[in-house]
Amino acid sequence: MSSDTSFTNETVDLDHLPKYEEILLKQPHPDYWKIICINLSVFFGLMGIGLGSILFFVDEVRPNAIWIVPLYFTVVIIFFLLFRLSFKKRGYAVRTHDVIYKSGIIAESTTIVPLNRIQHIELNEGIFSRIYKLGSLQVFTAGGQSGHIHISGIAIEEAKSIRDLLLKKLDLLENPATETEA
Amino acid sequence: MENDFSKPQRESAFGIIIMGAYTTFQIIKGTFFIFVIAFLKMQINDIIYVLLGAFAIILFSFVLAYLRYLKFTFFLNKEKQEFVVNKGIFNRDQVIIQLDKIQQVNINQNILQKIIGVYGLKIDTAGAHGEEVSIKAIDETAAYNLKAHLLNRDTAIDMQPEMEHENHLAEEAPFLRISGFTLFKVGLTSNYGQSLALLAAFFYTVIYEGRQLLDAFKINRDEIQSTVTGMLTIVTVFILIACLLIVLLIINLVRTFYKYFELEISQHKDALLLSSGLIAKKNTLISPNKVQITKYSQNYFQKKMHMLNMSLRQAHFGQSKKGHEMQGNTLEIPGCNPTERDELLKMILDEAPLKGKTFIPDWRFLNLPIFFKLILPVSVFLILAFNIPEVKPFIGIAIAYFAIGIMMIYISYRRHRISVNQDFIIKTSGIWDVSNEIVQPNKIQAITTFQYPWHKGVDVGHLSLHTAAGQIHFKYGNYTEIKKLVNYWLYQVESGNKDWM
Repeated sequence: MSSDTSFTNETVDLDHLPKYEEILLKQPHPDYWKIICINLSVFFGLMGIGLGSILFFVDEVRPNAIWIVPLYFTVVIIFFLLFRLSFKKRGYAVRTHDVIYKSGIIAESTTIVPLNRIQHIELNEGIFSRIYKLGSLQVFTAGGQSGHIHISGIAIEEAKSIRDLLLKKLDLLENPATETEA
Repeated sequence: MENDFSKPQRESAFGIIIMGAYTTFQIIKGTFFIFVIAFLKMQINDIIYVLLGAFAIILFSFVLAYLRYLKFTFFLNKEKQEFVVNKGIFNRDQVIIQLDKIQQVNINQNILQKIIGVYGLKIDTAGAHGEEVSIKAIDETAAYNLKAHLLNRDTAIDMQPEMEHENHLAEEAPFLRISGFTLFKVGLTSNYGQSLALLAAFFYTVIYEGRQLLDAFKINRDEIQSTVTGMLTIVTVFILIACLLIVLLIINLVRTFYKYFELEISQHKDALLLSSGLIAKKNTLISPNKVQITKYSQNYFQKKMHMLNMSLRQAHFGQSKKGHEMQGNTLEIPGCNPTERDELLKMILDEAPLKGKTFIPDWRFLNLPIFFKLILPVSVFLILAFNIPEVKPFIGIAIAYFAIGIMMIYISYRRHRISVNQDFIIKTSGIWDVSNEIVQPNKIQAITTFQYPWHKGVDVGHLSLHTAAGQIHFKYGNYTEIKKLVNYWLYQVESGNKDWM
């Protein structure tokens, strides 16, 4: 094909290409919200203890308690709301040729990794995740830190099956080469 | 002489000298100022101890170097297509590099190596930082043989006679040669930023170390400060600035000449050989299909002189410090003229890239930078100025800043565009240096699109293409078009089985 007829030529095809934005994304497991809550509670609990002890023991700070305590609680509430929002917005999908992950607290960002660009896959289970039988799946590409996908809060069985599916496809893709995960 | 490197072998015995000298140099460099202080503060009869200490350091480095030499072996495993290096004095380290993961092989020669008559060979891989191999001393034929073996892995299987590579390398006429005059022009017109950083770093060390020296001598710092401030009149300030500018230009020129002297590019089978350098000659062999992003840039002066700077970016991995690693994997070719550029592009990308359909950003591109870089600081400044009388006379500067700022942001908006055709994605950007980054769709690793909720109504969104050599951003584009493009690229990446390196 000559390159001067390049792009406009393809426009006809373009409309028939599968559209990533219309894929129905799967939400994280509802139990994952509990894990987010646990994590946030631990974080803010420790912070609260720290603040409380400062307020209690340091006399100079104590008069400021009038605004420190409300501020602390507003921050806590804002964080829970933001995480709730971002939790609602997350979604993932595995297509035959790529993995899609959507996330974002304010801006909605969608990252797509074609399967034939995956370098390796990681499946993590945290302490709290284990209680709820959840896992998080990470898909790495050669695109560095920015070009990788981290999907949290998938039921562990499903995560494992996704992992196996991806690995199988990777093997198929690299069938002639003996390359395994780098 | 072994030519096929299939048996484990040591580097040249001269390597002991090189490595010993290198270690000594490193130690002395690290402790240089301690030595100076020690010399100046000590009595004459103590100096003997210092000399003894220095001698001990040198002896120690050479013993280390000898041990390292004994333990450092390398060989080429033909069946597995691997290059294996054994090293480590106390702990055994084995580095195995798959030949097809090798990005580039550099053959260098520093002054010491030049005197002794050996070469250094470095292997860059796509692996994590620190996995690269460096052989400190190897004679010339062996170096070029090894390089040919490492890069032409097909011929390594074919078992072609090595001498042919030798001749091949020697006879190939370079198709691009940068003359001294061009380098002079390059030195005058580009890379100010880097030279400035160098100068700043130099002054910083001088001031820092100087302060330590002053402390050591217990010289009164205030006295010096008062004499310095006494010298600062308006005239001297201007002279000083002029001097600084001239020094900057000279440093720029020297740097350019040092790095790119006699820059030549020639083609070998399926690789490009770049060689340059004034004192230390640097040879780099890269295969074009491992170049991830090809970039050329040009500023106003350079446009008038019909020249541009090119850079070829290769994959960089690992979360290493930004900049440092990037530099190592970026090959700069300054001062090409447009025809040379086209030739080089053809060589790397198989064909000269044509600009296809061009997409321009929405005017909302201007909002954030104007607000954060202009309106916010200027209004803070104005509030300050109206409250503090001393600052008031400088209001004019704020207005100038605002005007220049608006112009620059507007220019950057006008220049920010991405053009796409079937084989290439070309991103144009820049204010003073206008750069064009060219990516082939098969080099895309992942794609991210994102949109702020308040842009949903006006259909504006952002795009980042992640490649192994960094990201390409296109901001504030028409989101519907971006989505179409993404689908198109995904189709290209996923349907084609073109590899990315």
